Amino acid sequence: MEEILRMEHITKRFGDMYANRDISFDVRKGEVHTLLGENGAGKSTLMNVLFGLYQPTEGSIYIHDKKVRIDSPAQAVKQGIGMVHQHFMLVEAMTVLENIILGDRNTKGIFIDKDARRNEIQKLADQYGLEVELDKPITEIAVGAQQRVEILKALYRGAELLVLDEPTAALTDIEVEGLFKVMNKLTAEGKSIIFISHKMREVLHISDRVTILRAGRSICTLNRDETTGEELANLMIGRELAPSHYEKIEQPGEPVIALRNVDYCKASKHNGLNGVSLTVGRGEIVGIAGVDGNGQSQLAQIVTGVLVPEGGELDLKNKKIAVFSPEGFIEERVSHIPEDRNKMGLIGSMSISDNIVLKSTEKPEFSKKKGLLLKKKAIKGYAEEMREKYDIRCVSVEQEARNLSGGNQQKVILARELEGNPDLLVAVHPTRGLDIGATRFVHDSMIAARDRGCGVLLISADFDEILEVSDRIVVMFEGQVMGEYPGKNPPIQEISLAMAGK
Amino acid sequence: MKNTKMISLLVPIISVILAFLIGCIIMAALSANPAVALQALWKGAFGSVRNIGTTLSRSTPLIFTGLCACFAYKCGVFNLGGEGQFIMGSVVCTVIATQCGFTGLPAIIICLIAGAVAGGLWAMIPGVLKVYRGQNEMIISIMMNYIATLFMGVLFTNWLRDGSVPQTIAVPDGTRLTRLFGLRATSAFIIAIAVGLIVYYFLFNTSKGFQLRAVGFNMTAAKFNGFAVEKYFLFSFLISGMIAGLGGSAEILGTQFFLINGYAAGYGFDGVSMALIGQLHPIATMLVAIFFAALRVGSTTMQAATGVPTSVSDIIQALVIVFTVAGLALVKLPEFKAFTDRVFAKKKEVA
Repeated sequence: MEEILRMEHITKRFGDMYANRDISFDVRKGEVHTLLGENGAGKSTLMNVLFGLYQPTEGSIYIHDKKVRIDSPAQAVKQGIGMVHQHFMLVEAMTVLENIILGDRNTKGIFIDKDARRNEIQKLADQYGLEVELDKPITEIAVGAQQRVEILKALYRGAELLVLDEPTAALTDIEVEGLFKVMNKLTAEGKSIIFISHKMREVLHISDRVTILRAGRSICTLNRDETTGEELANLMIGRELAPSHYEKIEQPGEPVIALRNVDYCKASKHNGLNGVSLTVGRGEIVGIAGVDGNGQSQLAQIVTGVLVPEGGELDLKNKKIAVFSPEGFIEERVSHIPEDRNKMGLIGSMSISDNIVLKSTEKPEFSKKKGLLLKKKAIKGYAEEMREKYDIRCVSVEQEARNLSGGNQQKVILARELEGNPDLLVAVHPTRGLDIGATRFVHDSMIAARDRGCGVLLISADFDEILEVSDRIVVMFEGQVMGEYPGKNPPIQEISLAMAGK
Repeated sequence: MKNTKMISLLVPIISVILAFLIGCIIMAALSANPAVALQALWKGAFGSVRNIGTTLSRSTPLIFTGLCACFAYKCGVFNLGGEGQFIMGSVVCTVIATQCGFTGLPAIIICLIAGAVAGGLWAMIPGVLKVYRGQNEMIISIMMNYIATLFMGVLFTNWLRDGSVPQTIAVPDGTRLTRLFGLRATSAFIIAIAVGLIVYYFLFNTSKGFQLRAVGFNMTAAKFNGFAVEKYFLFSFLISGMIAGLGGSAEILGTQFFLINGYAAGYGFDGVSMALIGQLHPIATMLVAIFFAALRVGSTTMQAATGVPTSVSDIIQALVIVFTVAGLALVKLPEFKAFTDRVFAKKKEVA
């Protein structure tokens, strides 16, 4: 088969840290080639090199057997490379059509012939089975549809090779099936796809070949037909992971937080709460199961004081809360691992050490006289300690937090949120986008917090995660609590039905 | 990481060099010898102790408005009303100094504090409207500049008019700031430097300053981590306005002595430029302010010596701003990063 892309001996170094070390792989025409690896294995760096956002320290890129230098995304697009990022790059206020033609450098003159473009795009969409409503603004279409817009955008710019960076992370199961159909259609028409993922089931289902990355190196490339999930998992992790079964607690301590009939934007099925009652006791993990967008975000923000409920009551450690504010809840030792680490959890432009001590600069360990003089040495020393303890992989603790990989960013947040011995930990999608190793680390940390007597409210769209660590499972659907189930020997069938609203 | 720090230092320096190169071309086109003109510019600004005094005196109000802009931006709010706050500080200071009839150090301190308070309160108007009513602070603060300017007009044309001349009566000798070594520069300059150092210390060495910067970088994360974002907004408006107001009263008591048409015109936006070129670092902002003052002071000597009009100096100032802003945007482009990576790679090969 004809080769479309070859990356040879790619090395990318940041300071003393190798993000990519001598990676080689190639993509053939009409295949789905998966890059499989843990967080920080170098997948994103490699793709940023391919897309012209980084320059490789060593190594070269060949397209159609011709050596090329890619200095910017614009040049990558010219070479026929299209990227669909994990976080979509769409202008929310604009329509689908406008988003697709936005920044199209082939525009001649100052006017845009929208009708001609519309026909062109509609034809492309029909050809590849990408259903989109061209005149709807992005805000009004579902996540899966937004992804189709991104793919269409790439195709419209002449992409021959599509890079899909963890495309299934934010999709529902039905949407994933739709995506796979589109991918099959694309490869059938001769396009090639680089698929980045660490979900084994999907990888085995869709790939033609799989290249495994580990610690910045390419380990090997395998044909799908010649491998198994276990082999891939072992290659990816590089060690055997024993299946862990945490011990489940059946008798929790006294309640840390109790909600009674809490309402918030009652009418909204997807962004509201309707008469929610639930308690979290000391030393137990309550898992909120449910499909994303059934009020979980609102619940998390109410129990951390960010949002003010419109009705009902909330007790924190047996005291009724009258004033809702994040600072008040933090004072009561409520910790929060928010759903969006970049937007809500971290100050990206500040250093790792600044982010670790973000809430505690006024403590005597870190400043003199209630904050009048920061003890910078003490802060740095503490950050180094946390780097060690939480295994934060970085060049230096003075490095900007935004440059860390997702898993390491999450560890920075964990270091900040868990070190204060919280009474209540609210963790929202704490392992989203994290690899197996980092996920295990997060789960262990939550169990350890629980065993110290902390109440944990875990909100996750990952059902396996809920089953893995929860002592009690609460199912939410359209802003309502559908039922409560034990975490030990949970009735899985019943829970699944409840998640679907039955 | 080291590279980015170096680049943020290099960008303004290269911008200055480029701006001067273009300035030289313009001078040559005006059939003046650029070397002679630049020499005259230098002499005018730093050629003698007297001239240095003049430069420092001119830089003083710019330092204040620069720090005013810097402080607000660090918290992520855009105070474009430095000029109005500076004027309101001057107005209150003038009224107290001329009407209360006291003199001496206590009077000076009262005047300075009153000016600062006036500036702070003036800045609180856009601040409060932003926080409690969701109004755009940029538009409101600009509008407040016009109100302040026109209000000052009432003073020098009516209420405090000095006989037939359209200016206010001057502040009494006993309330004027002392000159440093008999130069044009007064203790106002010392106050400006002190304020700059305090701002620097506050932002980078105290817990509240740390939190204020966190709010400026990422408001949502700051809120989730328990910082009352609205309070920081109000606080930074208040302090930023107080810095400008203090600058206004120091300018009146140190150099200007009375209000007149055109007083303080442009200081607010000058301050914004200083802060941007100084990349929101208080110390850098002060250095930039002195540099701009030098260009302005030196250009008069240049005009007298070589006939090159002072407006050439204005052009150079404007180009510095344009190049710095463009340069800072440029270094964020991936093409530029690719370029620097290649340059550094080559260097390593050679080594």
